[in-house]
Amino acid sequence: MEQILRIENLTKRFDTVEAVKSVSLSIYHGEFLAILGPSGSGKTTILRMIAGFEKPDSGRIIFDGQDIANVPVNKRPFNTVFQDYAVFPNMNVAKNIGYGLSIRKVNRREIDERVEEALEMVALSGYGGRYPDQLSGGQRQRVALARALILRPKLLLLDEPLGALDLALRKQMQITLKQIQEKVGITFVHVTHDQEEGLSISDRVAIVHQGVLQQVDNPRKVYFEPNNCFTAGFMGENNMIEGTIQAMDPSGVVLDTELGEIRSQYCLCCKELGVGEPAVVVVRPENIMVGSAAADAVNQFSAVVRRRVFTGSEEKMLISTEQAPERELMIKLHYLAIAHDQDAVTLKHLEEVRIGWNPESCWIVPLEENGAQA
Amino acid sequence: MKKKTIVSGGSKLEMFSLLGPTSLWILFFVVLPILMFVVYSFWVVRNQMIVREFSFKNYIRFFTNPMYPTLLLRSLVIAFGVTGTTLVFGYPLALKIYRSKGRAKAILYMLILIPLMTSYIVRIYTMRLVLGSNGVLNNLLMVVGLIDEPLQIFLFNRFAIFLTLCVILSPFMVMPVFTSLEKIPKSYIEAAHDLGSSELQTFWRVIFPNSLPGVIAGSMFIFVLSLGDFLTPILVGGKQGTTLSKVIQVNFGFAYDWPLGAALSVILLSISMTVILVSNRFGALREV
Repeated sequence: MEQILRIENLTKRFDTVEAVKSVSLSIYHGEFLAILGPSGSGKTTILRMIAGFEKPDSGRIIFDGQDIANVPVNKRPFNTVFQDYAVFPNMNVAKNIGYGLSIRKVNRREIDERVEEALEMVALSGYGGRYPDQLSGGQRQRVALARALILRPKLLLLDEPLGALDLALRKQMQITLKQIQEKVGITFVHVTHDQEEGLSISDRVAIVHQGVLQQVDNPRKVYFEPNNCFTAGFMGENNMIEGTIQAMDPSGVVLDTELGEIRSQYCLCCKELGVGEPAVVVVRPENIMVGSAAADAVNQFSAVVRRRVFTGSEEKMLISTEQAPERELMIKLHYLAIAHDQDAVTLKHLEEVRIGWNPESCWIVPLEENGAQA
Repeated sequence: MKKKTIVSGGSKLEMFSLLGPTSLWILFFVVLPILMFVVYSFWVVRNQMIVREFSFKNYIRFFTNPMYPTLLLRSLVIAFGVTGTTLVFGYPLALKIYRSKGRAKAILYMLILIPLMTSYIVRIYTMRLVLGSNGVLNNLLMVVGLIDEPLQIFLFNRFAIFLTLCVILSPFMVMPVFTSLEKIPKSYIEAAHDLGSSELQTFWRVIFPNSLPGVIAGSMFIFVLSLGDFLTPILVGGKQGTTLSKVIQVNFGFAYDWPLGAALSVILLSISMTVILVSNRFGALREV
C-alpha cells in the first residue's frame, strides 16, 4: 500500500503535561484509520497536529516527501470534521458546503454543481436553502462532512464526529461514514474514544494511551491479539484479577490469585516481570464458559450466580466464586448460546455453577499498566 | 393528555405567587409611570396650572411649531452620529480585547468597565476638563505650539455633545460586541481556516457576521441612551446645543409645562421603543 502521510516522533507539550510523546505512524492511501484511546490520551492532539491547529514541539509530519509541520492550516490539503460540526450559522446549507470553493475563487456555476453533488452524497438534496438552526444534529453533521469532502482533500480528519449524536443515529452514521469513504476513496483519519465505533468502521486502529502509541493493527488483531499490555486491558469489557506470578515458562504463565491458580498462554510486557511479582490476568466476559461447556476448561472454578442482566442480544451474568465471594466476575452470553445451552437458560439467582476458561483466552499484564486502572 | 397537566400540578394561585412580585414591580415602576406620562400629555396648562382636560394641543404644538421637529432632528442626528462613531471605534477595541489572552484580557476589560463605576455626571465633567479653555486639549496644543492662546471652539457646542456622548457611552458598545465575539465557538474559526480562508476572510465571512447580534445590541443601547440624554447638552452643549431631551427637561423643570414635556417624552419614547423592538427582532437582547 502506498503511504500518504507519515508522522515521525511527534511530541507536544501543554504547560507541564506531555500530551503526545514521540508518536510515529504511517497512514496509507485510501484507508480508514481510527485513532482510539480513552479521554485525555492525546488522540485529538495528534489529529490537530496533522490538521495544523497545533504545532508540534518536535517531530515531523511528512506529506508528499516534505515536512509540513510548519505549514499553516489553510495551506494544507486536508480538511476536518469537527466534534461540534462547526457549521456556520450565518450561512445556509449550500453556502456552508460551497464555502471552501468560494474561498478558492471557483466560478459560481461549478460551485453550484459541486454543492448539488455533495448534497446528494450525504442524502440532503433539497436542503441547500435551509439554515443550520433548522437542521437536526445528524443533518448538521452531514453538512460538515459534505463541506469538507467537496474540497477533495487528500486526508479527511474526523474529530469524534459522532460523539454528540444519540446511539441509534450514531450507529447509522457509522455505516454512512464507511459507505461514503468507500465511495469517494479519500483517506479518513477518525478519532474516537468509542471502541465499538473504532473497531466497526476502520481498516486499521491505532490505540493511544498517555500520549504514547500502543498498537496499530487491523480491528481483529487489536481485539483478539493485543501485543501490548495497555491494549489487552483496554479492548473489551474485561474482568481483571490481580495476583502474583508463580511460574513462567515458554508455554505460559501461572498467576496465583484469590481465586486460585490461573494459567495463561500470553504474557504481555512480561520482559520486565519475574516470578513473585504482581500482575493482572485479563479475561473477556465472552470468553468465560458456563456449565457443561466449562467442564474441560483449564482454569475452572465453582461459582454462584449473583445477578443476570438481560440486554437483548446478549445476557450479562455476574457471578462470584467460592474462593473469593466478594469478587464479581462478568460473563456475557450471546442469545444463541443461551438458547442452545440448557444450563445457561435455567440458571437461577444464587444457583451454583461451574465456570472456566482456557489459557489461550486470557492475558497476563503487569499490574500498573492495565487499561482499566489507567 | 390534557393541557392542564402540563403545568405539572401547579395551581393558578401558585403560579400567581411566583409571577406576582415581578409583575407588581413592573406594573408600579414601569407601566404606571409611562401611563401617567401618556395621560399628562393630553392635559393642558392654563394660568400656570395643569388642567385635567382632554386635548391634542400639545401634540399639535409639536407638529406646527417648526422648532420641535428641528430639535428632534438634531437629537436624531447626534444619536446616529454617536452610534456610528462608537461602533467604528468600539468594534476594533472589542476585537482587541477578545483576541488578548489571560491577564491582558482581564485588564483591558476592566479598563472598559471602570468608567461605568464612576458617576455619570463626573464623566461628563471630565470632558469639560479635557475640552475647556484651560483644559488638557488646549494646553497640549499650546505646548506643541500649534496655537498661541486657548481656543474656545471645543466646548459648549453640538460637537462637544457628540464627543462627550461618544466617550461616556462607548463601554455600552464594547461590552455587547465583546460578549458576542466570546460566544462564537472557536471551532467556527478553526473550520474557516481549515476550509482555506485567510485571517481576513475568516473575519469578514465568519467572525463579523456572527458578532452582529452584539453590534445591534450595542447600537441600540447607544442610540437610545444618547437620544434621551439631557445632562450632556446642559453641561457641555451651550446655547447651540439644545436638543429635544433638554427641552423636555426645561418643560418639567423651569417652564412648568408638564403636559407639553410629557407629550415630547411620549414622542421620544415611541422612537426609542421602536428602535428597541426592531433590534430585539434581530436577537439583540439575547446578547446581554
